[in-house]
Formats: sequence, structure tokens, C-alpha cells
Amino acid sequence: MSYALVVAEVRRGVFEERNLDSIGICALMGKDVSLLVPDDNSYLINEKLVNTIIKVKLEEATFLNPLNMVKVVQAVIDYRGNPDTIVFTHSSSGTELASYVAGYFNLPLITDVSGFNKEKNFFYKSYYSDKLFGEFRQTGEGTCVITVRSGSFKEYAVEKASSPITETIEGTPAAEGRSFIEYVEEETAEIDITKAEFLLSVGRGVGNKDEIPDYEELAGMLKAVLSGSRPVIDKQWLPKPRQVGTSGKTVKPKVYLAMGISGAFQHIAGMKDSDCIIAVNKDPEAPIFQYAHFGIIADIHKVRDKLRNIIKG
Amino acid sequence: MNILVFTKRVPATQEEELRIIDEGQGIDFSKVPFKVNDWDNYAVEEAVQIAEKTGGSATAISIGDAESDEVLRRAIAMGIKDGFLIETEQILHDPNARATLIFNFLKKEGIPYDAIFTGVQSEDDQFAAVGGILAAKLGLPYASMIIGIDSLEQGHMIVQRELEGGLQERIKIILPCVLSIQSGINEPRYVSIMGIRKASKVERKLFKAKAYDENLNSMIEVVKWVYPPKKGGATILSGELEGVCKDLLGILKEKGVY
Repeated sequence: MSYALVVAEVRRGVFEERNLDSIGICALMGKDVSLLVPDDNSYLINEKLVNTIIKVKLEEATFLNPLNMVKVVQAVIDYRGNPDTIVFTHSSSGTELASYVAGYFNLPLITDVSGFNKEKNFFYKSYYSDKLFGEFRQTGEGTCVITVRSGSFKEYAVEKASSPITETIEGTPAAEGRSFIEYVEEETAEIDITKAEFLLSVGRGVGNKDEIPDYEELAGMLKAVLSGSRPVIDKQWLPKPRQVGTSGKTVKPKVYLAMGISGAFQHIAGMKDSDCIIAVNKDPEAPIFQYAHFGIIADIHKVRDKLRNIIKG
Repeated sequence: MNILVFTKRVPATQEEELRIIDEGQGIDFSKVPFKVNDWDNYAVEEAVQIAEKTGGSATAISIGDAESDEVLRRAIAMGIKDGFLIETEQILHDPNARATLIFNFLKKEGIPYDAIFTGVQSEDDQFAAVGGILAAKLGLPYASMIIGIDSLEQGHMIVQRELEGGLQERIKIILPCVLSIQSGINEPRYVSIMGIRKASKVERKLFKAKAYDENLNSMIEVVKWVYPPKKGGATILSGELEGVCKDLLGILKEKGVY
């Protein structure tokens, strides 16, 4: 029987919520779901979402190592036959594992899938930071590997009445080429941006480091906390704990004022649930306008200067 | 240490409007400028720093049309020793096709290396996959999202990987290996026009893709290009800047934050 193999991400004993997107796309595709999980934790899974749970006797860090994952997938294939889709999350671990599995088994790979068309059987994949999308499909038959974008398919992961079969397979000896040492927590922040009611967030559009103090001043005048998108943090214009996005913090302020941020999905994922999003950008095609409640199409420096003038009276 | 680093020329679409042409079969790039893929700048910088620290050399490789020579010259201006261009006019959307071409090239040319670096992803197709596929084909250990190389020992490295929500993981990886380098790992050095001109005098080696992969077969295909679906979208505040800014302050007051 054809089935989809969903490789779960479990991090420090938590079954990551983005796994629901992996399960959701399988439901949308109309496939039976076999969920592959490491067996060393007591994390919570909503079992009614899947048909089979395959537990592998491995610790989570060993499970999430691509060198081990290919052996685990081989063990599943030996046991259950070829899945027609292998699904990973589009995350740090998911992309790492998916590409290695695709290379090892010589399988087609489509990453960052954010839509699926059932009639035409194609995957919808972002290009150019969401400015365009491609309708993709595999050219041949057989197993296809995909990674799915967080937040894209969660709604399709609805409960079924049946309870799943649980199977346990032996783990493989940990690979020697790569080994886990430890998790490292981010440095503690001087200000916790997740607690702010009003965030003024700046992005690449700020242009250069010398402009930052002026935005700090504006934030102070507005009683907002200054945060930033990835490019601003990478360039060390703002400290890492001020980063909004998947690799930084997820925030839900009352107001999120995004200045010079075009809206890569990694950023959107970190702020889309804010009560009110206001975006200022000179590019009317910037994806952030799709998520914002209010938009201003203008040069951010001019907006900044004008706001300061008005507030100063 | 000898490091191979991949660098790609991509359209600079940040502030450009992209137009779909030929009924969804093509994209009009005639007015779009091109640049080095952002992530590759960090990978090149990291390779140069390691070569400077440990001895050995860093070599930049690009797959693309003749124009991609421009990203190799830039890499050489940053301190890369050699630049190899694997030339093809074909746009390889499939990361499998790219990785297979690289795999065949490395095998046939017998190029020595201790580590292979790629950027985490390219700005155009965002696959984040070539490094992983290549590593698996070569039978080498792989790690992605590298934001720090803590130590470089005989035969292995201790590296930091970025995970989600500010969490990182420290791992040990045996050489030779493939790493995908995340932005922010270093500060790519400034490259002057003079530097690029000087780099033009360093010979770049040209290889034809056809010599390594006759057909460049793809396992996936683009059926059609489409524009993103319009979600509700923002209410655009328009008019004179003064009025727009006053409207903005009004919204902040209404929301109770100002």
C-alpha cells in the first residue's frame, strides 16, 4: 500500500509544531501517513492524525543526524517498502536531512513547498523571496522527497477517529563522521522583545549602520522597542536577541511596525501573529504588504524624519 | 587546508519587479541586475580565513554561463587562489542536477580538498539542498546552517549549527566534509573595484559542463511560473508624506501603544 513517510522533528523532547504541516500536506495529498519518530522521549503526539507511528530506538540528536537518518530510512524501506513521498519540515534540520536522504537514495527533491494542487499533482514552491512561485513536479515515477514550509498545511492535519498502529524498529549504531556535542542557548538579552507591546523593526532597507541610532531615537520617541530582521543582525547592527524570525524570536506585539523589511518567510513566521502590522517599504511588490494590515510605500528614511518632525512639533 | 567553495551569480531581485513571460514558461530578467548570492559571500570569506589561518588554499567554483566569471573574480579579489567555471547555458533548477554535475567534475578532475563549502541556500531558488545532496553522493559527513567554526583540529572540526528560536547545536565533524555556511558567521570583507580589476589578471579555469554530464537530466521540472496569490493585503496609506505619517501616528494611538 502506498504511504507517505513523515520524518518528525523532535527537539529537546518537544514534538515541534511544524510537524503538523508535514502531516497536513499528506492529508491534502490523500496519503496514509507513517510518522517516523525517535524513541527516547515522552513527547506528546496527537496520534489520531496519523495511520502508523514508527518508533526508532535512537536518541533525538542521533536521529536528526543525516548520516544516521539515511540508515533509518533504509530500515523503514526494508520493512515497509518504498514510500511514495518522504516529508521533512523546511527547517534547519529538515533541509539538512532531506537533501542528504535525496542524495543518498538518488531521489527527486522539492524544498520549501507551500502549496499543493491535487488535480494537477504539482507542488507550489517559492522563488525570489516569494516574489514568484513555481509549479513543480517530479519528471519520473517513484519516491519524491519534499520539505514543507511551516504554517502552510497545518489546517489540513485534522483528527481521524482511528488509532494508529505503533511499530518499533531498531536504531543503527551512531555514525562516526558527525557527532552531537551539546545544545547551546543564545546569550541572554538586555531587553526581551517578546514582551514588548510595540516593536519598531528595521531591515536591510536601513542601508547602513550609521542610520541605526536615528531609528533608535525614533523608537524611543514612539515608546517602541527596536528589533530587526536577519540581515541587520548578521551585520551586527543590532544584537542577536533583537532578531525577529525563525532563527531569532517569535513575537506577537500589539503593533509591529516594519521599516525596510521586504518579508522573507523566515521573518514573516516570526511576526505574522502580531495584532496590527504596519509595513513601510519603497517596493510596492515587497511580500510583507501581503501580511501587513497597513502599508506605506515610501522611502523609510523620509518617513522616519517626518515622524520625528511631527512628534517634536 | 584546501577548501572548495561554491559561489553563484543570481538576479538581484530585492527591489525589482519580476515579470512572467511566455505564458508562464519564462521570467523576464532583461532589466534585472545580477550579483553574488548573499550566502556565498559568507562561505567565500570563511574559506579565505581558514586558508589564511591554516595554510593551504581556497578555490572558488561556479556553475553558470560565461557571465558567472564575474563572481569568480570577486572571490579572487577576496583572497581566493583559483577560480573554476563549469560553464553551461542551461539553467539548472534541479539541485540534484547541480550536485551530480559537481560530483562528476570533482571525480574526473581529481581535485583535492579537505572541506567543501556552500552557502546555506541561493537567493533565487531557495532550495538549500546542493551541499547535502553532494555530500551524500561523495559519502561525506554533512552539516548545514554553520554559524561558527569553534576549532579546527587534525582530521576534524568542532562547528556550531543554527537551529530555530535562538538555539544552536555544537557538533564534531570529521574531515573531509561538506558544510553549508549561514549568513552572519563572519563579516565578508569589502571588495574594491580596483581589487576586482586586479583579480581579472589571475587566470580562471574554464570547464564545459557537457564534459561531465552529457544531458544534465532533471528529476523535477517547473510546469509554470505564477505570481504569489494575493492575500487580503494591506490598506495602503497614500497621499502627501506629512498626512501619511499623521495617519500612521493615528493608528498607533488607536491601538493604544502611543
